[in-house]
Amino acid sequence: MTALLLHSLQRVRTLVLVIGLLLALLQVILILVATSLDTGGQFAQLATLLPPFVRALLGPSVTAFLSFGGIVSLGYFEPGVIFAIIGLAIAVGTRIAYEVEVGFIDLILARPVARHLVVTRAILVSVLSLIFVVGLMLAATWIALQTLAPVAAEKPSATMIVGLALNLGLLALAWSSISLAIASASRRRGVAAGIAGVSALVMFLLDYVARLWEPAHRISWLSPFAYFDPLSMVTGATLPMGHVVVLIGIALGGFALAYAFFLRRDISK
Amino acid sequence: MTAIFLEGLTKQYGRLTAVAGLSLEVGEGEILGFLGLNGAGKTTTIRILLDLLRPTSGRAKIFGHDCQSDGLAARAMVGYLPSELGLYPDLTGRQVLDLMSKLGPRAVDAKYVGQLQERLSLPDRDLGRKLREYSSGMKRKLGIIQAFQADPPLLILDEPTEGLDPLMQEAFYQLLADVQRRGRTVFFSSHVLSEVERVCERVALLRQGELVLLSTVEECRRLAARTVRVTFQSNVPAPVGYEIVESGPRLWVLRVAGPLGPLLRDLAALPVEDLHVSEAKLEDAVRHFYSGDAQ
Repeated sequence: MTALLLHSLQRVRTLVLVIGLLLALLQVILILVATSLDTGGQFAQLATLLPPFVRALLGPSVTAFLSFGGIVSLGYFEPGVIFAIIGLAIAVGTRIAYEVEVGFIDLILARPVARHLVVTRAILVSVLSLIFVVGLMLAATWIALQTLAPVAAEKPSATMIVGLALNLGLLALAWSSISLAIASASRRRGVAAGIAGVSALVMFLLDYVARLWEPAHRISWLSPFAYFDPLSMVTGATLPMGHVVVLIGIALGGFALAYAFFLRRDISK
Repeated sequence: MTAIFLEGLTKQYGRLTAVAGLSLEVGEGEILGFLGLNGAGKTTTIRILLDLLRPTSGRAKIFGHDCQSDGLAARAMVGYLPSELGLYPDLTGRQVLDLMSKLGPRAVDAKYVGQLQERLSLPDRDLGRKLREYSSGMKRKLGIIQAFQADPPLLILDEPTEGLDPLMQEAFYQLLADVQRRGRTVFFSSHVLSEVERVCERVALLRQGELVLLSTVEECRRLAARTVRVTFQSNVPAPVGYEIVESGPRLWVLRVAGPLGPLLRDLAALPVEDLHVSEAKLEDAVRHFYSGDAQ
């Protein structure tokens, strides 16, 4: 099990390291931007530059966003960041289908290795990868805030940043488990990743539309993204426990399905 | 002890029957050649033994351990060489061997691995290279080493000599003979009849998922039709009652199954100049099973 886990971690290390470093770099860049705006006293000017309808759309959160803390927190919910980390979750989660596709799993399972250990190993790889990336983002934020931010700047609270990171990490974990469940029943990684990727996009759009269009709101609970609500956290709310429970529930459900599919399936290319 | 026990093994994919009611026993220390054309069900049977596929019905056991309900114990006895080695091209040969040795229950003897490397001409220098630089023959050698390295009691080999040059094939046959001398069992899938004839004691032949022949190689040869070439000093009439391969005024080439006595009696009255009987080959015995005209 340990040998297989280490081998699998080696297989994903480059991808995880690259995504982690890019996202960590983004946190540093955002803190540099916030520092620059703060030093020039430009946050107040930015708010006045916004057209009235944009201000109406954003509501009271506009003040929260156009602040040092708001810019820094952007690194945890900007769509590019969300898709990068969910893309990583899907890439890592669907590796099991690739192992079936190339026949590597034949060699593993021809040894006295239980199938459930193969899935457990895939779960551990997903969880460790996400912990590493989110941990790297948090570390970059903390170090940059300590070393680059002006002393007088209104820095975001640790609770808020950790809450955002936790919510983002759990969202990615949920997609990781969905990807693993799909991949555990698939013979082709491309198919599994395609289904998971399109599902993520559809669910993201559903949540986005539901925030603007009331009729879609009734089914938005179906989307895992409905349980990722950074806006309320930026305006001061804490991470709702209900969201944590639902996202962990999705993750556990996906992992359970992955076990069920992989333990029963025929392994054939 | 029975190394492999199959009873009524059936695997269906919807309407397609890949293996149909296969029953077979392989004794410990035996080398059994598992023959059949592509799609006959050889690989499906092997994958059921390894619990990669689940049978629709029937049972498969390895050294008494059920391959499905006690699969870990069953697979602990096995070294497996797949027909295609599914490995990542950026791994080195050494990394592959290390990983596979760590996943098995038996300690790998570095000295034995060294001997395998030497016999198959895969030196340390090559093991340090990435698999993307390997030729198909080198990959095959690596596959053989990973299957043999823990010296398991049962070797399941799917088309093991595919891609090996004649020299390496010879080295591989020697290796098989050695492991058999040490009491190991080999379940050997192939469609190369000459090599099966050379290394196996018994053959099992599958056709469309069904076992159509299970016999010793010797018995197969004995039952096979021999080719008899007779030349005459003067013109003779065409033979009657024999399978004719070629016939001329002074030449008969016949295929004769079973005892040669009746033919010799017929020839006694004819001006025979020369008589040559070719030894029957396994190929002669199984050819008609492949073509589907045997019952």
